[in-house]
Amino acid sequence: MAGEPGELLQGTLEMMVLKTLSLEPMHGWGIAQRIQQMSNDVFLVTQGSLYPALIRMKRRGWLTTSWRVTENSRRARYYELTAAGRRQLGLEQASWQRASAAVNWVMNARLVPDGGRA
Amino acid sequence: MSVVTDIIERVRSIIFRRRDERELAEELEFHTAMEAAKLERRGLSPAEARRQTSLALGGVERVKDDVRDARGTRFLHDGQRDMAFALRTLLRNPGFAAVAILTLAVGIGGTTAVYSAVDAVLLQPLPYQQPGQLVRLYYTDVRRKEERGVVTPVHFLDYRQSMGAFSSIAALFLYSESGADIGTGDDVRRIRILPVSADYFDVVRVQPSIGRPFSRDEETDAPAVVLSHALWKEQFGGKPSAVGQSLMMNGRSFTVAGVMPDGFADPLAGSVDAWVPGDLRPGRDPNEAGNHYLSVIARLRPDVTIARAQAELDQLGATLAQRYPNARYAGARLDPLKEDIVGDSSKPLEIMLGAVAMVLILICVNLANLLLVRGTDRAREFALRSALGAERRRLVRQTLIESLTLALAGDVGGIIVAYFAMKAIVAIGAGSIPRLSTLELEPRLLVFSLVIASLSALGFGLWPALRAARTQPGDILREQGRSATSGGVQMRLRQWLVVSQVALAFVLLVGAGLLIASFQRIRQVPLGVRPEGVLAFELHLPEARYDSIARARFYETVAGRIAALPGVVAAGGVSKLPATGDFNIWGTQALTGPLANLDRGNIAGQNRVVSGRYFEAVGISLLDGRLFDEHDDASAPRRVIISRAAAERMFPGVRAVGQSLTTGGGPREIVGVVADVALDPQGRSGEGYVYHPHRQFAGDRNWSLVQVVRTTGSLEQLQGEVRRLIASLDPQLVMYKPMALTEAIGRGEAQRIFTLRLLTTFAGVALGLAALGLFGVLSYGVRLRRREFGIRMALGANGGSIRRMVLREGMVVTAIGVAIGLLGAVALSRVLASLVFGVSTLDPRVLASAAVFMALVAGFAAYLPAHRATSVEPSSVLQ
Repeated sequence: MAGEPGELLQGTLEMMVLKTLSLEPMHGWGIAQRIQQMSNDVFLVTQGSLYPALIRMKRRGWLTTSWRVTENSRRARYYELTAAGRRQLGLEQASWQRASAAVNWVMNARLVPDGGRA
Repeated sequence: MSVVTDIIERVRSIIFRRRDERELAEELEFHTAMEAAKLERRGLSPAEARRQTSLALGGVERVKDDVRDARGTRFLHDGQRDMAFALRTLLRNPGFAAVAILTLAVGIGGTTAVYSAVDAVLLQPLPYQQPGQLVRLYYTDVRRKEERGVVTPVHFLDYRQSMGAFSSIAALFLYSESGADIGTGDDVRRIRILPVSADYFDVVRVQPSIGRPFSRDEETDAPAVVLSHALWKEQFGGKPSAVGQSLMMNGRSFTVAGVMPDGFADPLAGSVDAWVPGDLRPGRDPNEAGNHYLSVIARLRPDVTIARAQAELDQLGATLAQRYPNARYAGARLDPLKEDIVGDSSKPLEIMLGAVAMVLILICVNLANLLLVRGTDRAREFALRSALGAERRRLVRQTLIESLTLALAGDVGGIIVAYFAMKAIVAIGAGSIPRLSTLELEPRLLVFSLVIASLSALGFGLWPALRAARTQPGDILREQGRSATSGGVQMRLRQWLVVSQVALAFVLLVGAGLLIASFQRIRQVPLGVRPEGVLAFELHLPEARYDSIARARFYETVAGRIAALPGVVAAGGVSKLPATGDFNIWGTQALTGPLANLDRGNIAGQNRVVSGRYFEAVGISLLDGRLFDEHDDASAPRRVIISRAAAERMFPGVRAVGQSLTTGGGPREIVGVVADVALDPQGRSGEGYVYHPHRQFAGDRNWSLVQVVRTTGSLEQLQGEVRRLIASLDPQLVMYKPMALTEAIGRGEAQRIFTLRLLTTFAGVALGLAALGLFGVLSYGVRLRRREFGIRMALGANGGSIRRMVLREGMVVTAIGVAIGLLGAVALSRVLASLVFGVSTLDPRVLASAAVFMALVAGFAAYLPAHRATSVEPSSVLQ
């Protein structure tokens, strides 16, 4: 699907990228793999959404980049969280947890029979 | 914080775009390779792995595009792409591009060049420290404050002593061009020297870079000289040891006191080769309270306003009136020095700027018109692109970028045009417009031209761009150019554009017409002399070798010998050429007759010293009495000839010949009355002339008479003969500044000529553009209406009626344009008033000629399209 990622999806992707990078600096492919693995193959991160997101996050000052050599001795661009990125991760995690809990409450709600009905 | 990183990142992406792109490619390549490797590990063949990877990841280019979007510099890449596209589009139509770029180059270059002159002359401050403190001091009549005259030495000395508002005040002996011969033998050449009072250097706040300025003790004609940087280089090889050495000027030895810094120019005289102390000794001149010859500049104290200084000056005037009861004035006025220098030239320059701006607007209108035509041609392209999903915004931007590309190309050409135009302006304006010599193509001006270019792009590109945006794809694609009336709205728009062009061109035509009419009027002004066929040149006799007796004899000898040359009618000399301005205005009092010794018998006499047969040489006719002859020499009683105006003022009702008057330090007997001579080419008349024979007046000072020779032959040939003759009399003498008398008198008119030339050029360009516009719009109209004409002809209309239809259309457009232009000319008449002489700014003859001229050109421009309309074959359009 070539459509633009929705607001929520894009925000979620950025949060997951931040989370991934909070574990260790990583290159783009690695981030995609990591998210795929950690989500048990639910999220398939495409290049088309990943790299623009990385650039945007870099523009906001959450990430820095550097070229390093991978364990397979190939050159790759590594992304690393900045302090601002860490703060952002904290904020997003908190608000995500609030939001997902709220969504869960809504989704798990049942119609309780109204006792006051005459 | 994050805003800052955002901006830094964006800017970085702009600067390192190539690297970013390379790294992005590498990064994506890495990603793909890793993905493929993963699949290979699962057992796929390398080729299959790659294929599946590409399928899974989607197009790399698409990803790249999205990443570029994310960088926030998208607009730049698109802009670049649009620019390349614009270039291709323009190159596809080189004729249009060439016309557009060339006309833009003319408009932008012209505007830049004229602006540069306005900037140099009017906007830039004077090149002296605290230039705002500098003022010019004129004597003035207390009753007529607008009168401005030069100052007498006694008043100057009183101002210098008493005025507390001035931190310094200086007198410049500018009243005639002062020259000096330097060098010896064949090396003699004439330089420009300026006698000044000692405080001159304090007023301009420029001290000699080596050596010293003058002291007040030297204001006694002391033989000291301050050299210009150039003269110092030339005469002393730029050696500091020059100070204290001597320089021979006019055969007299001067001690070099100092050297002015490089680039220093006198505020009033401009380039001067050397400064000498002016002679301000009291009592040097018996009529010193009545003789005006000092140009005075002063520097205000930092805390003093010009109004306060003027108040102090007015107060002082009352005292001076009592101290010098026989002086002609006691009042004085102050003008800011810059205003004084720029003077009358501000109006012509402002008008020029207005005119050239009009031309630029015309050019933009023309381009808008051309773009609209192209817009129609390209309407289908835009419609198609719009239908295929191109955003409107994108299309507008595309069109604007095309305009901008054109404008930038025009700007490059414009800078080249400006370079040459500035040279031309300096060449035409030199001598009539002050401060022009500082004109240079500075970076500031390049920026100016760029701004002008961008504004023009917006000016001519916006409308076509907005039209492109309004494109209704459906309509246009459906229409397929089938309808006979398509483009009707646009046609009307284009006609209005042409109307505005005609109006602008008409205003410029009127301006040029008024100047030409003024010029004819000036030519018709009776000057009282017949300057045609007269050669004039300066001949300076160095005092060291020529005392007053020798000078008196020599000037007569020269006149006599020149008169003997073949073709020469008469030759003589004068202290100031006729109709070239005021000179030696001395108080002149009737001593006999009805107004003897009365105030009413006192005039501001224009005194001239003449030698040889001056009156015959320049064509001043004798009305009564006789002209000077060899008997009017130093041994005879002092005699003068006066002009008719002087005679009527001082001796009303009686015969002036035989009466006597006093001027120039003593009583004079009147031996003749001659016709009046104008003071300038506009025919200004003074209170009258008093002519003195040089034979009797040579002792007063070294008059350096300008020689005039009337010939029936060619002036060039005469010039050579005279030069040889003078060399045979004294090989060291310089025949300085030979020129035709008509040219010498015309020089006062140089400013008007300057304006005339520029304005007629602009008017010509404007006329051409308007004609081009009319031609374009009519041709286009004919093209659109081919079917209509075909039908008409099929129905029996003949070629003549079709032709008349098109011509009438052109004439209607022209008539409306002229009508609007007429309103513009009326609105601008106050501005034009400063340019005209002897004609009303709404002179019906000028307006009518401009209208007729416009109509003729319009008819010419309309003829071809009209003719083409008749060539439509009915059968070809009706199939």
